[in-house]
Amino acid sequence: MSLDSTSSTSADDSPDPASPESVESQLGSVALSEPVAELASAANQVARNGVGFATASEGGDDDEEDADMGGEEGPVGRAEEEVWADYGGVGGLAAAEEVGEGLGGGGVVWGRTNSELEVDEPASPSSSGYAGERGSSGASSGELEIGEVVEDEIQEPRSDGVDGVLDSQASWVPGKRHVDEDDASVSWRKRKKHFFILSHSGKPIYSRYGDEHKLAGFSATLQAIISFVENGGDRVKFVRAGKHQVVFLVKGPIYLVCISCTEEPYDSLRGQLELMYGQMILILTKSVNRCFEKNPKFDMTPLLGGTDVVFSALIHSFSCNPATFLHAYTCLPLALATRQAAVAILQDVADSGVLFAILMCKHKVVSLVGAQKASLHPDDMLLLANFVMSSESFRTSESFSPICLPRYNPMAFLYAYVHYFDVDTYLMLLTTSSDAFYHLKDCRMRIEMVLLKSNVLSEIQRSLLDGGMHVEDLPVDPLPRSSSLPSHLSQPKPPTDSPERFRETCDWIAGPAGLWHFIYRSVFLDQYVSSEFPAPISSPRQQKRLYRAYQKLYASMHEKGIGPHKTQFRRDENYVLLCWVTQDFELYAAFDPLADKALAIKTCNRVCQWVKDVENEIFLLGASPFSW
Amino acid sequence: MARPGNKIIQAKLVLLGDMGTGKTSLVLRFVKGQFFENQEPTIGAAFFTQILSLQEATVKFDIWDTAGQERYHSLAPMYYRGAAAAVVVFDIASKDTFIRAKKWVEELQRQGNSNLVMALVANKSDLEPSREVDTEEGEEFAQENGMFYIETSAKTAENINDLFYEIAQRLAKACPSKPSTMNLNNEVQHRRKLFCCFG
Repeated sequence: MSLDSTSSTSADDSPDPASPESVESQLGSVALSEPVAELASAANQVARNGVGFATASEGGDDDEEDADMGGEEGPVGRAEEEVWADYGGVGGLAAAEEVGEGLGGGGVVWGRTNSELEVDEPASPSSSGYAGERGSSGASSGELEIGEVVEDEIQEPRSDGVDGVLDSQASWVPGKRHVDEDDASVSWRKRKKHFFILSHSGKPIYSRYGDEHKLAGFSATLQAIISFVENGGDRVKFVRAGKHQVVFLVKGPIYLVCISCTEEPYDSLRGQLELMYGQMILILTKSVNRCFEKNPKFDMTPLLGGTDVVFSALIHSFSCNPATFLHAYTCLPLALATRQAAVAILQDVADSGVLFAILMCKHKVVSLVGAQKASLHPDDMLLLANFVMSSESFRTSESFSPICLPRYNPMAFLYAYVHYFDVDTYLMLLTTSSDAFYHLKDCRMRIEMVLLKSNVLSEIQRSLLDGGMHVEDLPVDPLPRSSSLPSHLSQPKPPTDSPERFRETCDWIAGPAGLWHFIYRSVFLDQYVSSEFPAPISSPRQQKRLYRAYQKLYASMHEKGIGPHKTQFRRDENYVLLCWVTQDFELYAAFDPLADKALAIKTCNRVCQWVKDVENEIFLLGASPFSW
Repeated sequence: MARPGNKIIQAKLVLLGDMGTGKTSLVLRFVKGQFFENQEPTIGAAFFTQILSLQEATVKFDIWDTAGQERYHSLAPMYYRGAAAAVVVFDIASKDTFIRAKKWVEELQRQGNSNLVMALVANKSDLEPSREVDTEEGEEFAQENGMFYIETSAKTAENINDLFYEIAQRLAKACPSKPSTMNLNNEVQHRRKLFCCFG
């Protein structure tokens, strides 16, 4: 049976999972080896609260949990089925006691190692090792009467949601959706990726979908699970239930939970929860914990009032911004002289008592300067940029707002002066002094004058239009590199529309040797550069799928016990993925699925050379040191 | 703008009030003549400037439009310190915002700046059908606290300019001789508390 791999690593104290020949036999196998009353009642409550993550449609395609606007109310027909997960994905069923009352009993996998609950990690990240696939194969082998209903759900119209078709950056509408849902809604249960923040007393703080207040019962259930395990001196890391993975992160009195069937690795989801927590700290500082010391039942939602957009924008960026898993930032490509002009004026300002001066264009850094010894973590930059970009208020006028940089100092507020020069370009001046506004305003005027005088702002706009590195421009012959060097980024490309060129590109569709896309991360600079997306990966959905693939690759390359040099070559029906990690850089490249291995490796070498050739333009070099 | 020989008054003005009462909408109507049905919540505080010319003076407003969210309450002193005028806003269709407005007035009075020009603004007067706070109630409270009371609508622009003209006039009267010194330097030691709920 195809489920063996799942159950084999599950907990030692779990009963041998029966083959899922029938639901009955499964239900029969649910007996716990140790009596776990509270947990059982938690599970019971799960059932009562209608925690059924109905089998979300995988359809063999990438998930589109951002795109599934509306369209969900389609043929449903299993509202009454309370299922943790689909029947297919099964595992050692150790703790779902109350299955009898309608909890489908499919597959709550509980595992327990000595000090932490650790469950069923795929033995290898090979492309056949994911839970989802197991789940579906299990479904085909085992059962059962809901099969056709599952089929119905798979066919729900997903991709024609608002942002499924259009360009992701332009069309994604920030803000919370489906506020009318709660855990009893079928549509809510079918969401592919839920995020919850709750307090240690079980009070909801944030939920990606649905109204937090209506989810009080569900939050209490999550809290019960976490505290049950904690009472035993353990820590719950994640629970796998069929295709669903429930990942927990405990941060003092704040609990964060992600429930997802997107097949993302545990490490990635955990990293995302860490960022969610960081975003919360950025808004409130860690001193919010004191509220819970005084009153454990403290309700935190009013404190976060109006920040739904910030969190939903962050969650959206998990699938479209590689910075969320690379822990690096990216720069807007600019000619060296242009960037130096911007750095010089920011440096000037930083010397006058500004802690950090950051000039950004969308999520890309134009220049960045820190006061002496102050260094900015890329995650802090990501969270700060997300906060500023997602809050419409900053665009209205210049603002002065308290913010906290969680990696810099999670306990204290800094004060951020934020000003937009144009729709995309904004300046952030951070200071420790709460009455520095007028000084920062003066600084901004000085900076603005210099930027205008040296044409930096118009260069930024031009770079935005031109885009960054295009794989089609990868120098074919490594020798005449030096002659063509300045043209890669800032000058008009070779005539793409000339007939020969067109034929050529038809051959390899995008870049040479079938190269579609790459990300190069410089380890020392904590910066990365990502190529523009070519035609084969033009839709947001395809891009998201590629990012997910990179993310998986990243997670597998950064597992514990990795050597300093490592490569990975992997081919599936979507891509050939090649990853190369050295002390200096990490390269992630995606090729046409039919690409030749030797050629692909050669091409990666050329990409690295190309990046080195243009590093002056794509990276921020020699700025204040980023060490932490 | 400034008439020759006319005095110039630089005045810091702060808007306070619960979230969603229309502080930003008031300012945007006054400064830019704009109104947005779904104005996004303000983060921290937004800064605007506007100049009003009167017969007797030219008033340059530095306007601090503060965020109404609870998490920013304890930071308010940072914005109202040294203010020459304070506009406390509530929504006529929400009793809660009126209660919150009263608290703001109390807090401002505790600061003990007797020269502070204070206005109590009943915003969203276009929502008359769902009114929860009577005009008399608002007027009475304003009178008791030495404020002037005005009902406005940022949506229809009703009374918006009147509000700021009235403030400008009072400022001009209150500061007959000295230009541009609205005790900006008279700053009280800044409180270090992060949130009102932290103690």
